[in-house]
Amino acid sequence: MSKTEKFSFDGDRSLYPDKKSDGTLDIDLTSHKYIKLWHGPNHPGITGNMSVELTVCGDEVVEAKTHVGYLHRGFEKLMERRKYIQNFPLVCRVSVPEPDYNEFNYATCIENLAGITVPEKGLWLRTLVLEMARLQGYLMWIGGMAGALGFGTVGQWSNYCRDLVLDRFEELTGARIYHIYILQGGVRNDLPEGFSQRMDATLKEIQGFMKDIRKVLFDNYVFKKRTVGLGVIEKEWIYPYGIVGPNARAAGVSNDVRKDYPYGKYSELDFEIKTATNSDIFARAYLRYEELLTDIDLIKQILAKMPKEGEFMAKISNVMNLLIPSGETYVRSECTRGEYGYYMVSDGSGFPRRVNVRGPSYTHAVALLEKMLINANISDVAQIMVSLHTYPPEIER
Amino acid sequence: MFEEIIENIKVKFFVGEISGKSKNLLFMTVNKEQAVNIIQYMNENLGFKHLVLLTAVDFIEEGNFQLTYLLNNPEKKIDIGVRVLISRENATMETAHHIWQTISTYQRELKEMFGIDFPDSPRVNEPFILEGWHEIPPYRRDFDTKAFAQKFYHQREGRETIDPLVHMKNNLYPNE
Amino acid sequence: MAIIKDILTPFTVWKHFFKEPVTIKDPLNRKAAPRYRGFHQNVIDKCIGCGTCEAICENEAIDLVEVAKAKNGDSGLRPRVDYGRCCWCALCVDVCTTGSLKLSNVFTWVDTNPDNFRFIPGVDKKPWDNVTDGYVKADGLELYPLEKQQMQHLHPEERENSFIEIMKGYSREEAMAEADRCVSCGICVATCPAHMGIPEYIKTIREDNLEKGLKIMYETNPLVEICGRICTHKCETVCSIGHRGEPLSIRWLKRYIADQIPATEYSRILKQDSVEQKNKKIAVIGAGPAGLSATYYLSNLGYKVTIFEKLPAAGGMMRYGIPEYRLPYDQIDKDIDYILSLGAVIKYNTTVGKDVTLDELHKNFDIVYIATGLHEGRSTRIPGTEHSSVYQSIELLRKITLNEPIEVAEKIVVIGGGNVAMDITRSLARMQKQKYGKVQIIATSLESEDIMPADREEIVEAREEGAVINPAWGPREIVIENNKIKGLKVVKCLSVFDEDKRFNPKFDESIENFFEADMVVESIGQGMNLSFITPELNEKLTKDHRGRILVDTLTYQSSIPWLFFGGDIIEGPDVIHGVANGHKTAKGIDNYLNLKS
Repeated sequence: MSKTEKFSFDGDRSLYPDKKSDGTLDIDLTSHKYIKLWHGPNHPGITGNMSVELTVCGDEVVEAKTHVGYLHRGFEKLMERRKYIQNFPLVCRVSVPEPDYNEFNYATCIENLAGITVPEKGLWLRTLVLEMARLQGYLMWIGGMAGALGFGTVGQWSNYCRDLVLDRFEELTGARIYHIYILQGGVRNDLPEGFSQRMDATLKEIQGFMKDIRKVLFDNYVFKKRTVGLGVIEKEWIYPYGIVGPNARAAGVSNDVRKDYPYGKYSELDFEIKTATNSDIFARAYLRYEELLTDIDLIKQILAKMPKEGEFMAKISNVMNLLIPSGETYVRSECTRGEYGYYMVSDGSGFPRRVNVRGPSYTHAVALLEKMLINANISDVAQIMVSLHTYPPEIER
Repeated sequence: MFEEIIENIKVKFFVGEISGKSKNLLFMTVNKEQAVNIIQYMNENLGFKHLVLLTAVDFIEEGNFQLTYLLNNPEKKIDIGVRVLISRENATMETAHHIWQTISTYQRELKEMFGIDFPDSPRVNEPFILEGWHEIPPYRRDFDTKAFAQKFYHQREGRETIDPLVHMKNNLYPNE
Repeated sequence: MAIIKDILTPFTVWKHFFKEPVTIKDPLNRKAAPRYRGFHQNVIDKCIGCGTCEAICENEAIDLVEVAKAKNGDSGLRPRVDYGRCCWCALCVDVCTTGSLKLSNVFTWVDTNPDNFRFIPGVDKKPWDNVTDGYVKADGLELYPLEKQQMQHLHPEERENSFIEIMKGYSREEAMAEADRCVSCGICVATCPAHMGIPEYIKTIREDNLEKGLKIMYETNPLVEICGRICTHKCETVCSIGHRGEPLSIRWLKRYIADQIPATEYSRILKQDSVEQKNKKIAVIGAGPAGLSATYYLSNLGYKVTIFEKLPAAGGMMRYGIPEYRLPYDQIDKDIDYILSLGAVIKYNTTVGKDVTLDELHKNFDIVYIATGLHEGRSTRIPGTEHSSVYQSIELLRKITLNEPIEVAEKIVVIGGGNVAMDITRSLARMQKQKYGKVQIIATSLESEDIMPADREEIVEAREEGAVINPAWGPREIVIENNKIKGLKVVKCLSVFDEDKRFNPKFDESIENFFEADMVVESIGQGMNLSFITPELNEKLTKDHRGRILVDTLTYQSSIPWLFFGGDIIEGPDVIHGVANGHKTAKGIDNYLNLKS
């Protein structure tokens, strides 16, 4: 059953652990009141490889600790040993489900520091690829959201649709997941013959499936009963907890990097930022569903407005000898989960001094999740986590 | 717009070098003792409510770390990066989790990866990403990842490469 | 009611039960998209083994291994890819300098032996070698600039009546932009006769450390300002960037480094401390490139060198053969003065055979090095060449440099198609412009324009300055009337070399032409003058079947142990060969004297 009361430390606490003087909970594990459960790292109710250590009292969670580190590959350290051009195949692997955002942010950091301008067609192609990445990101997420609640069929449909989008990626960039398509100065190739027609056919098929998914998921009594009123994010938590993206927009805060700090060709595209007021799991899921449909519309706009001719890559100096004078910069873009940022520091040599990846899941999956899981039912843990749309690869890079 | 903000901060605090200025981004260096007060002032009075990131950069040649607090003003849509230089020996910094709760995660990671201590930050001594790590904090520049890999992991033999210049010399003009 | 709708609506999707499943029934034979990044293919003949793919791979998955012996412009190495490390990012394909490496779109490979996954694409036969689909670098994507940085130069109107230097030199930004294009493969080093450390000194330009660049250049070549202007730049013909774009301007970058450092700093930068002085004396006959280069390296090894030079100033063909607008005299002096400052003694206006004999040199010196060069012109010996207004180009060029007066007729014909012919043509064009206000000079050669031996830029610039180049004619007779030259009669030349590549010109006597002229200049070849070698010595020298002196290929020592030969009289003929000879001779002399004592 869903709860609608909000948790308060000062309410009736007879069933709950005492608070110690420094604000942490006094959980006495020998008192036979509590059980420790590990939710993950191999668990169907997790969006990736991370685990949440739950302390439950009966059926309710009283304390949650996030454990990450199963996907640490040391990228930020590896990037310091390689030249700027050699980092592109590494960078797309940092956040696996949406690799194009990594390439875009890293390439834009280099362009800001070295003073390279990207030609028109290159910007349009970049925007197209970023929107396609958003589309397949949301498709994967919808499968995960439904799967966490037991609606396995929706996952099959949405992954099929995602596969069609990956086919389009394959014929445009040469690979399905790790595209390595955006380089400093532009992109690596132009659209192949007949791409627009095939893309339109794909989008039409996806829209057909989306109607069915809406009927199965959002017009579904069971789904509504299990998600409405749960997992509420208060508006006051947004800035102290660094909440961005659809999580913040569902709480009523209208933040979208594509409108606030326009990049690529978003200033020439026509779309609206959607917000919701309820800020529970259902609202966030429905908001993401609507953003998915907006992305489909944006891709159609981009293909219609893109110029047919033009250079897709600027004339750059020799990538093997590129030296960037010292400086630092921060570049952000809006991926499916929120504001995704790259902070780069250069020191005058051919190697970056420091590249720091700021993923939205860094704040969502650790501090926010630990706060939200308190007082939740064990069976609701999965959907609260999936509704935050966290991906562990970008937490520990 | 940046000028008013900088002037406003300069009234109460010392602001050092300002660099990296672009349309909506700026970096400024401040003193270590005043840093947390400055960012609290910016959070409460100047509208910089959103903390984007807290990270550290290792300048081993100069013997110090540079901490960067990147703050964002959502209404005015500008960013200011506050840089603090702390020494590499016994690196510590005052905690700021009373301003943003989420900064405790960043501080945990910096303690583990760089060895910068933030006393009184919640759970700062618990390992965040690494488990059973006995070497020096890995993001420091004196930690050599290649030497570590060659020490601890089995290298598959059979790789050797030839330099074209040397090979052409040996073939075409070995005696000159 | 909303609850009833919410319960019943999901059942409408049961229609999917009747749809065809979307699973692909045969996944193993799925063909990837045309641009898919699959397994490597390499066109072995096109690949030159430059190693740029190895340098860019961030996984260190590529090694260069020996597949064949090295050739000029081809290192004989080919890339071997380790699929245990490769991530198929295709940056190696994008950066390939010849465009030989590409990826097919095949992506399945099953093997029981893990060592087979390190293979040399193109050499080890694989099932995907002939697949045409796959990833190739897109047109419009270039990871390094393909166009050369142009150098500022004087336009024809500014230069046609003066001998001011035409090329102005690189500025700092231009030099850095040009040096940036180098991928440091090192293939050019083997082609340079002196094997200069080219990638290293280009790197010093990028790092702005020009003093180090100068030191690197002087390790192999002490005539940097000169070579930086007039070297035949064979290195640029094998530059790996030249396969798809314009080769690097290596010669001009050499000039840039030397231009930035004033002559007064040379001693501080290049001086070698504590050179052990040896008590041996060496005589060098001829202060040309070979003689000066040998002097430099012998002085640095501690020997006392005396140079005997026939003309009033040192430089040989560099000063007396190359006009000032290509190589200004003060730049020649800059290089030569530094070499002489190391302690060598030079005697000008001293002809061996006249002012001092070879036997006297043998008595007073331990070793004699003959590098007198090719200063005698060859004649066509067609009827009319005995006339006084028929000149040799080398003689005229020498007189122009010595500032002696020469005849400059109103109409001139130059016979010859090499660089020397272009030099005399352009010099006389300037003098005609100064004297008569207009240029009337025709240059003609046996070779047709596409095989003319002169540099392309020389022919273009000569035409810009008003000269007429009319190739593919064979000279027959110089027509003389009333003791004055009327002109040159020529017939059509159809070909110059036969199938065995031997000089065997074929003419069509029926097609004739007549070039009007008051003066004819012959520029068809150069010969040596070794008359100062006495007949007794001449007998002891071993020669080949054509009468040329044989020397050891590494030390340039002849069959007479104390006599070394070098420069244009042995091989070349150009400055850089002379420099290389001089260096090798210096080392050879040093070895020989060490062995003797």
